[in-house]
Amino acid sequence: MHHLSIFAGIDVGSLAAKAVLVDRGRIVAKSTIATGADPQQAGKKVFEQALLLAACRPEDIAFIVGTGYGRIALPFAHRTVTEITCHGKGAYHLHSETRTVIDIGGQDSKVIRLDESGRVYDFVMNDKCAAGTGRFLEVMARALELELDELGEFFLQSGRPSLINSTCTVFAESEVISLLAQGETKQNITAGLHLAIARRVSNMAARVGIQPEVVFAGGVAKNVGLRKALEDALGIRFAQMDIDPQLMGALGAAIVAKEEYEGRGWSWI
Amino acid sequence: MVMDLKPKETIGEVRTELALKLEMAKDEGKKVVGFMCSYFPIEMALAAGAIPVGLCGTTGEPIAAAEKVLPADQCPMVKATYGRSVSNTCPIFPLADCIVGETTCDGRKKMYELLAREKPIHVMDLPQKPDERDALIHWIAEMRKLKVFLEGQLGVMISNEDLRKAIKQINKERRLLKEIHACRKHHPVPIMGRDLVGSSTKFGYTVDREEYVSNLTRLLAELKRRIRDKEFACSPARPRILWTGLGNSLGCDKVLKLVEECGGVVVCQEGCGGVTRFDDLADEEAEDPIQALAERYLRVTCSCMTPNTSRFEQIDRLISEYRIQGVIDLTWQFCHTFNIESYRVSELVKGKHGLPFLHVVTDFSKSDVGQLRVRVEGFIEQMTMGRRHVSDRCAQS
Repeated sequence: MHHLSIFAGIDVGSLAAKAVLVDRGRIVAKSTIATGADPQQAGKKVFEQALLLAACRPEDIAFIVGTGYGRIALPFAHRTVTEITCHGKGAYHLHSETRTVIDIGGQDSKVIRLDESGRVYDFVMNDKCAAGTGRFLEVMARALELELDELGEFFLQSGRPSLINSTCTVFAESEVISLLAQGETKQNITAGLHLAIARRVSNMAARVGIQPEVVFAGGVAKNVGLRKALEDALGIRFAQMDIDPQLMGALGAAIVAKEEYEGRGWSWI
Repeated sequence: MVMDLKPKETIGEVRTELALKLEMAKDEGKKVVGFMCSYFPIEMALAAGAIPVGLCGTTGEPIAAAEKVLPADQCPMVKATYGRSVSNTCPIFPLADCIVGETTCDGRKKMYELLAREKPIHVMDLPQKPDERDALIHWIAEMRKLKVFLEGQLGVMISNEDLRKAIKQINKERRLLKEIHACRKHHPVPIMGRDLVGSSTKFGYTVDREEYVSNLTRLLAELKRRIRDKEFACSPARPRILWTGLGNSLGCDKVLKLVEECGGVVVCQEGCGGVTRFDDLADEEAEDPIQALAERYLRVTCSCMTPNTSRFEQIDRLISEYRIQGVIDLTWQFCHTFNIESYRVSELVKGKHGLPFLHVVTDFSKSDVGQLRVRVEGFIEQMTMGRRHVSDRCAQS
């Protein structure tokens, strides 16, 4: 019976698939792989990897919750829950003072408001385009011939950020190209891009209101430059979390799995 | 007889069936008046002895043809309406003898100028500050102009007696519709939102008002029977949702379907084609039936009106009457008035009632269904994740 205290959360995002195993509220395994073109395969693989790390078999897992855009491609999950609820759960589990979660993933961004008990009571998401998301940063990094993880540092080195008006991936790319042609530095352009995203996200956040503590989650939260730009735009400091922000959704899914298994979840329909 | 309330027909099949009936009616000398909107006084067409038929675009097929003329960044309803006239995708449009539109929004107003090349059209100038005293005076004058237009087009004279008779007929239908919708106050509901939208769209496409009345009567009897026999449409655990804004009829109901697939149930519709469009009756006893119609139709609460206070009073009332647990507001892309007004709806729903609120902006295409599903599921999870006080409120009665 000992092993049936382990719960799994699998978050198949548009760019990365993540899995977290939780035992008595503690993370016992975590893994991340690129989603690629086969979300079903990625979900399976990332789960197997986590099982391997925790040295357990699929039948040792009490309950599995799938989340992320590829959640429907997980035939072995007992339940699927949206990443909205999961990000809220994950952040609240680690830090019960959390009232707002900003999540910027590969193809969407959201601002989630939580009540005192960690339930979602309001959220807002970007429209169907990838403006200001991880995909946006990928395309911009390519245009600037930089690695994705160099962007944050380049931002922090900028003396005079360029003015970039668009967070539309297509329009912003042409803005970047014309700025490069004008001889603008990569540092200033990178900073301009980050400020454009920060403006966009803080306008979105204004729709649901920002209440501290604020947690920044999702793959894009690893970018130190954007973290700083967002903190400045919102006039707050993000709560320090002892976890890779990209794993927040998978962690939340594992917590939902635990609550569901223990019957504290919700009456399903 | 137990009535099947899950219409299997697509909107295309419903329209084809209506077109056949219209052709037969036309062979017998009947005239057909196409209308576009809840502001059209349908009584006027009935009083003229004509068959009123809704021609507002609610499907995606005609849009490609419309975009050859109209800019792509227009409201899908405006594009689909125009597209019906130029694309051969609509079997009904060619059968209309004339069309009546109103100056509700800029997109429609300018589109009607082009539609006028296809059919005789009369555009009523709709005042947009309905609470002003001059608004009614102007709208009465517009009603009289409409009467003259229809008399000319259809070669008839419309008497006050004809109008009173038509008002009584439409009121009879609206009383039935009001009662049908009131059945959904029951918890759990006797019918899913999408089934009611399907049935009422299908019944509404009619050439015979008495047949329409008898269909509505049977529908009402069936809903009452279900409530009596405790034969409910779904589990009481499904959160009860108020629908507002647009996207409320067969053909453009993708989000409505999504909401019920994801575990909610739409128990009330407010907004375009919703409950407030038929729980308001014209005065049957009025000395001047034209004035009675003008008064009635100026009370329609489309977001083209300003400041449109009564829409908010109605949403406020419906949230309580229908024991609503969450509100979805649907706006078609580029519909500026519903889009902006959504902020005030959110203030009322979230601020005053403390309920989850979801604003969806979309069009008739299926391209965003994946993204919409995340939002809709997240919204349903907001209501289903142990929100005890809400379910208690529902269980009370």
